[in-house]
Amino acid sequence: MALRELKVCLLGDTGVGKSSIVWRFVEDSFDPNINPTIGASFMTKTVQYQNELHKFLIWDTAGQERFRALAPMYYRGSAAAIIVYDITKEETFSTLKNWVKELRQHGPPNIVVAIAGNKCDLNDAREVMEKDAKDYADSIHAVFVETSAKNAININELFIEISRRIPSTDTNPSTSGKGFKLRRQPSATKRSCC
Amino acid sequence: MSLRKRDEIDGVGGSAKLAGSPEAPEERVPGRCLSLLPWDRFSAWLHCVCVVGFDLELGQAVEVVYPQHAKLSDKEKTNICYLSFPDSNSGCLGDTQFCFRFRQSSSRKLSWHCLLDQFDRDLPIYLKKDPAYYYGYVYFRQVQDKTLKRGYFQKSLVLVSKLPYIHFFHIVLGHIAPEYFEKNEPFLEAACSDIDRWPSPVPGKTLHLPIMGIVIKVRIPTCHDKPGTTEVLQTAHQPATQISIALPTIHEVDLFRCFLPVFFHIQMLWELVLLGEPLVVMAPSPSESSETVLALVSCISPLKYYSDFRPYFTIHDSEFKEYTTRTQAPPSVILGVTNPFFAKTLQHWPHIIRIGDIKLAGEIPKQVKVKKLKNLKTLDSKPGVYTSYKPYLNRDEDIIKQLQKGVQQKRPAEAQSIILRRYFLELTQSFIIPLERYVASLMPLQKSISPWKSPPQLKPFNQEEFMKTLEKAGPQLTSRLKGDWIGLYRHFLKSPNFDGWFRTRRKDMTQKLEALHLEALCNEDLLFWSQKHSEVETVDLVLKLKDKLADGENLPAKPGTMEKLQTHIDSIILALPEDLQGILIKTGKT
Repeated sequence: MALRELKVCLLGDTGVGKSSIVWRFVEDSFDPNINPTIGASFMTKTVQYQNELHKFLIWDTAGQERFRALAPMYYRGSAAAIIVYDITKEETFSTLKNWVKELRQHGPPNIVVAIAGNKCDLNDAREVMEKDAKDYADSIHAVFVETSAKNAININELFIEISRRIPSTDTNPSTSGKGFKLRRQPSATKRSCC
Repeated sequence: MSLRKRDEIDGVGGSAKLAGSPEAPEERVPGRCLSLLPWDRFSAWLHCVCVVGFDLELGQAVEVVYPQHAKLSDKEKTNICYLSFPDSNSGCLGDTQFCFRFRQSSSRKLSWHCLLDQFDRDLPIYLKKDPAYYYGYVYFRQVQDKTLKRGYFQKSLVLVSKLPYIHFFHIVLGHIAPEYFEKNEPFLEAACSDIDRWPSPVPGKTLHLPIMGIVIKVRIPTCHDKPGTTEVLQTAHQPATQISIALPTIHEVDLFRCFLPVFFHIQMLWELVLLGEPLVVMAPSPSESSETVLALVSCISPLKYYSDFRPYFTIHDSEFKEYTTRTQAPPSVILGVTNPFFAKTLQHWPHIIRIGDIKLAGEIPKQVKVKKLKNLKTLDSKPGVYTSYKPYLNRDEDIIKQLQKGVQQKRPAEAQSIILRRYFLELTQSFIIPLERYVASLMPLQKSISPWKSPPQLKPFNQEEFMKTLEKAGPQLTSRLKGDWIGLYRHFLKSPNFDGWFRTRRKDMTQKLEALHLEALCNEDLLFWSQKHSEVETVDLVLKLKDKLADGENLPAKPGTMEKLQTHIDSIILALPEDLQGILIKTGKT
């Protein structure tokens, strides 16, 4: 079975739950008192997708403003970017839109963008309507889910959807079985953000 | 901590988890090393990261030390300052990478040094840490900047480490330094925090080292690897370098490129390095001086070069006086210098390698004759090797032809380096095998080991006896090279490299003897012995056994020996009167 390394970065405002999403996905655990990330933290997890193994190299970036300038190092070469916002904080959704703009201008041309509205367990405090976010995501051809790292809602689904959107190497026999090239994406794919 | 755990979950990653690979280090270390503090992981790889800049009033100055608590004495700081910048105004415009080595001025121990010592034990001898020295890996940038008073931006990012992983740190710096110069402080914080999550530098394991958006995969060699068979990481699946890089080596330099300027003299240089002769490399830039010195030091691998070497040495170095004094014979060291001033200072040195301006790979210099030292003018001397040394061995014309042919056929530089490395390896092995064989014969016979006597002593090294073995079992068995091998051995036996090599061998063999002795002791019925002896003798035995138990951890004894010993001790103590039992159980426990 072919193993593909897929670089994935998480972007978004500070405190929206990027690290918690990764912890839930990789460790299946949740810690409400997680420390703010410095620079970025790195984790991996391998999942099977159809007849391939996808090894996610996950760069979970710091949301704090002072690390903002480092982001290009993490999205450079990424197959996918997960942009996270907090459904209970309107302003985190605006930050998300800025990230989408930045990726469009400077990110890899065929990067799969996924939008995660985290903390959906806190529906009472909701500030961002699911429909609004969904419409926005559709308009940029991004994956969209509302997630709860705390209650383990839609976390695996998010990554499965990313696997699904990443072009299979089978479409290009010359690269299959011999690693892959992220940039080699069949032109038929319309789902990417650009 | 959590990072390691996650790596394990991720076992599907192929090379990461091989059967028989050592278990996670945290689980096999004695209790006192168990808890890692923040920065412990970092300090297993690096002592600190420094930023050296140029202050108009102060000159070169260490601007930042990261982590802030990293200790550097003033002397060390001064050395780092001067060694991190090109020495003379050699016009290193743009970016330059090089490395230097400096003396540690005060001893400091890491909070988990016991664990690191354990890794050190599994390393090949030439990769073991030298407790007295640090390496400084430098990325220097000099660009015009009209906004600055000096007109130039000049800064170095320096990684200070005990680890001689030259190629690895070169790659790391190449990845982080250019970005650092753009982004400054938070970048350094982020990079160091990445390093602080790296797995320990365990030899023999494929390590995945994430740093600033990429994953570097390396394998640190072990002393059990067959020399010359670098276990190259699989590179067939190499994706874009923006995701991960698998390094074929952590420490090797590009031998062929480094030796190109002195191509015709490689075999003579091998002799000079082997014999620990004072050597100075005068090069136009620190990157060339450091590469050449490192190539020289590595050409006698798997032998370790035991004297001091300085890939880049300046007039400000704290050992400048010690090494350049004319009141004594030049010391057994290899220095790499760029300052033209050294041409005068080191005029009295017996062997000088002068490297001219950078030659493009693929171009072999014309036959350069060995030059008389008196022809060395202080400035503007032609490239070449200046010495009056007459090599002991005849020159191997085959290797020269083979490499020249490679150049004509445009053979890749990596392949040329592999050929050259193999040539040096075979030469060194042909030279060392007779010594190994003779030294092995100094081991007492197994039957002379008696559990009731102290371990037998090694026989002393007798030079004439060794020379006699050369007639039948000399290097002629493995090498076609003719020449005065005997003379070479006689010279070598007086050199620091022989001294270091023999001391290491003797230590290994003494430990082996102690281990065999311990095994023999454990195979005896000690309880039965103690019952036939007086209480005093038994107590004495128990105390001795307890000492052996404490020291035995580092002995190469068969697995299970220490457990056996413990069982013996326990059963002897149990057979003693109760009051003695209490005392004996307590003694020796900390």
